[in-house]
Amino acid sequence: MSAGVAGSGASVPARTPAHALAARRARARLGLVALVVLVVALSILALGAGAVAIPPGRVVAILRDAATGAGEVATRDALVVTGIRLPRLLMGLLVGAALAVAGALMQGLFRNPLADPGLVGVSSGAGLAAGVTIVLGERLVPASLGIDPFALLPIGAFLGGLASTLVLYAIATRNGRTSIATMLLAGIALGALAGAASGVLAYVSDDRQLRDLTFWSLGSLGGATWAKLAVIAPILLATLAATPILARALNALVLGEAEAYHLGIAVERAKAAIVVLVAAAVGASVAAAGVIGFVGIVVPHLLRLVVGPDHRVLLPASALLGAGLLVGADLVARTVVAPAELPIGIVTAAIGAPFFLWLLLRRRGLFP
Amino acid sequence: MTALIEAADVAYAVSGRTLVHPTDLTLGAGETLVIVGPNGAGKSTLLKLLTGELAPSAGRVRYGGRDIRALPAWRLAAMRAVMAQSETLAFPFTVAEVVGIGLDGVSGGARGAARDARILDALARADIVHLAARDVQTLSGGERQRAQFARALAQLEAGRAAMGDAPRGGQVLFLDEPVSSLDLGHQIALLEAARALAEDGLGVVAVLHDLNLATLYADRIVALAGGRVVAAGPPDRVVDAALLRDVFAVPLPVHRRAGSGAPFVLPERPGRG
Amino acid sequence: MTLSETADMLRTIVLLAGPTLVTLLLAASPVAASERLVAAGGVVTEILYALGVEGRIVGVDTTSVHPPRALEDHPDVGYLRALSAEGVLSLAPDRVIATDAAGPADALDLVRQAGVPIDVVGEEPTPAGVVGRIRTIGALVGEEARADALAAEVEAGFAALQEARARVDGSPVRVLFVLSLQNGRAMVGGAGTAADAIIALAGGVNAVPEVAGYKPVTDEAIIAAAPDVVLSIARGDHALDPDALFALPAFALTPAAEGRRLVSMDGLALLGFGPRTPQAAAALMRALHPGAEIPAVLSGGADAVEATR
Repeated sequence: MSAGVAGSGASVPARTPAHALAARRARARLGLVALVVLVVALSILALGAGAVAIPPGRVVAILRDAATGAGEVATRDALVVTGIRLPRLLMGLLVGAALAVAGALMQGLFRNPLADPGLVGVSSGAGLAAGVTIVLGERLVPASLGIDPFALLPIGAFLGGLASTLVLYAIATRNGRTSIATMLLAGIALGALAGAASGVLAYVSDDRQLRDLTFWSLGSLGGATWAKLAVIAPILLATLAATPILARALNALVLGEAEAYHLGIAVERAKAAIVVLVAAAVGASVAAAGVIGFVGIVVPHLLRLVVGPDHRVLLPASALLGAGLLVGADLVARTVVAPAELPIGIVTAAIGAPFFLWLLLRRRGLFP
Repeated sequence: MTALIEAADVAYAVSGRTLVHPTDLTLGAGETLVIVGPNGAGKSTLLKLLTGELAPSAGRVRYGGRDIRALPAWRLAAMRAVMAQSETLAFPFTVAEVVGIGLDGVSGGARGAARDARILDALARADIVHLAARDVQTLSGGERQRAQFARALAQLEAGRAAMGDAPRGGQVLFLDEPVSSLDLGHQIALLEAARALAEDGLGVVAVLHDLNLATLYADRIVALAGGRVVAAGPPDRVVDAALLRDVFAVPLPVHRRAGSGAPFVLPERPGRG
Repeated sequence: MTLSETADMLRTIVLLAGPTLVTLLLAASPVAASERLVAAGGVVTEILYALGVEGRIVGVDTTSVHPPRALEDHPDVGYLRALSAEGVLSLAPDRVIATDAAGPADALDLVRQAGVPIDVVGEEPTPAGVVGRIRTIGALVGEEARADALAAEVEAGFAALQEARARVDGSPVRVLFVLSLQNGRAMVGGAGTAADAIIALAGGVNAVPEVAGYKPVTDEAIIAAAPDVVLSIARGDHALDPDALFALPAFALTPAAEGRRLVSMDGLALLGFGPRTPQAAAALMRALHPGAEIPAVLSGGADAVEATR
């Protein structure tokens, strides 16, 4: 089948190229397995550790009893495990996975490793819309309808995230090419706009609403309850379940929109799906846990270095590492100053910001 | 010769400016068509109309008799591959992964080792097996161009498999300035590989700047200027000193090879003829 | 991951019926002298100490700055508005006493679900509010007699304060309360705030009655408010510096700048509306009206409140 290729021809390395490709696939698989182990280990730790000292054996017994519906379920320890730690763990897993996947999706869409929903204003947009829902929701929706205000939050946050993503994309992308500088500048402008609007909200809100707003902007898993989870989990699970379909499209989009079309991708449909998924993931996460930064940028970036940029591996790996990172950060947040608690945003920023700077330095070193 | 592509009166205008005036063009199976012309003549735009990337503002492009706008992207991707002018990538994909992306849009079929085998085959045909594990971000322009060529070859193979391993033919390979960054050896190698595909029955459409390479490899040359076809036909007819002076606005004396009598161009410095 | 998560979730949603029953049972429990208490809110801690039940406190929040040893002697459950459910429960309290401001609501709900009652006391910045808080907390901890005595003492203080206020003469003193000063922008206390209430108790007039709540205002609004005195909180090292304050154009053009009248007071004493409020109001009155005759009962004791000028 060789078509008269000139030049030296392929020099055969010690390990054949076929082996090298297989090894890379094996490495990606191994990475995924390692991440699953990490998430499981952190989850066990998260269920076992906290301000209330409960011996591991007892945690297991409580969970077993809870699972079978037998035994004592109403003790304080049982309530701490099943009523506080478990919903908090599940919320952390879902929100962490969603934030990391949203980051990976957005970076693929913009073909830029710096595109993070938190950095380019999508989270601020979602947060602002959540704030509007908190402050104005009661006025807009008559109480007689009997709608739980919290049920409106994810919808509001989703619409806010969607609006900011669309505005950002419209501004930054022309003829299928995304200007990095324009995107970051537009993101900063959007963030500032959302900040200003949030200031207005703070001005018109009463004391109780102001407290909710403040809690939001800090970000925390402290409010995780089964009721919240029931609203958030379907959205986030659906988002996570839908992402693998987009892996091939994202890979192709990395080469450019025209190339993706040439390669057989329905580009416009894929882009619309990505935007909606990012908005849903960020919106639901913001509604559940407030604005938590750096997960979306650190996780996919780190994984590209370890398992490679192929989205078929990157997306599930991001979901796993994002889940693990947030559960781990929450574990730190609620144990180091127990019985008090740090805002989780402080922990993720403390991990994320130095890592981000390291990435920038490394880039400078590689591409002077 | 069955027509793979028929373009009837295709034109393209954007914000009141006509980039391509109404043009008729056909490409037959096994034919190599080379588009030449000065910068801004509309070569790339014409190519984009033929690949479906741009929707014509007038006229119609048909693949095997079917309107290209009615073909879904995945169907079209099995029928033609495009090697565009290469861009840098933002993510550290390896060359093998980039070639693999060429396989994935068309067929979900090949996985694991079978997919690897297809990738390696395309790498070998583009003479870049040794670059398989390299990060594309670190490649030179020429290496990147060969990686893109391998990706297009992989896509054609996948497309053939998706269409039930049909005999070669019925597919089209588009090359937009495919040799612009290559050394002479690799320029020839790439065009030889394309020509070999044409001999298997594929249609090949290439935009080239080098008139001598165009003459060597084209069955037909289309010369564009100002968005209009100013000449079309076998190299013998199009490579003509008077015509070339009109198109490129510099003297380009045409000589004849000893033996075959094929034309070749030997540029001269203006006014020193 | 998804399947097992969903299964866990469904299982545990069913389990939540149990805890609700327990909460109902425990909520009706009688007062016990040995109850372990968590105090969320500076004024709550202050009253518990005044009632002499500090020995029962097992945790306080970060706003519990009076008496100063409160935070040294007890675990800190974090900021009043960002409490951790598990953190509170880890102290195995029998009761949480909190102010309105405590939160987040979800965390409080989880604590209640675990069978720990949370009693919320109001924050009305009025003499009646102070007395009501003392009596409510007294009843919650079973110290009604001590609470009555403390309430009587506080009521006497307010009465003496009222008499002193009646004796104050001269033109009204306009007071501007500045909560914070960021980038030269002042956040001031308008109508309905604790600052507004204490200014009135001290015989002053709020310089910005048209502002509702704590709001940032423009430089020109400060000049238009024409305060005779600027009132602020002494927050450790972060107290406003009169030199810096009156160098700002907005403040330089106010009557307060002429006499460099900046009064700084302890935040919890000034705004907390706890047992020390009569003394705090008297201290402020002394600062606003240097000639005022203030009865000895308001001059302090161990918990002397002072205004620095």
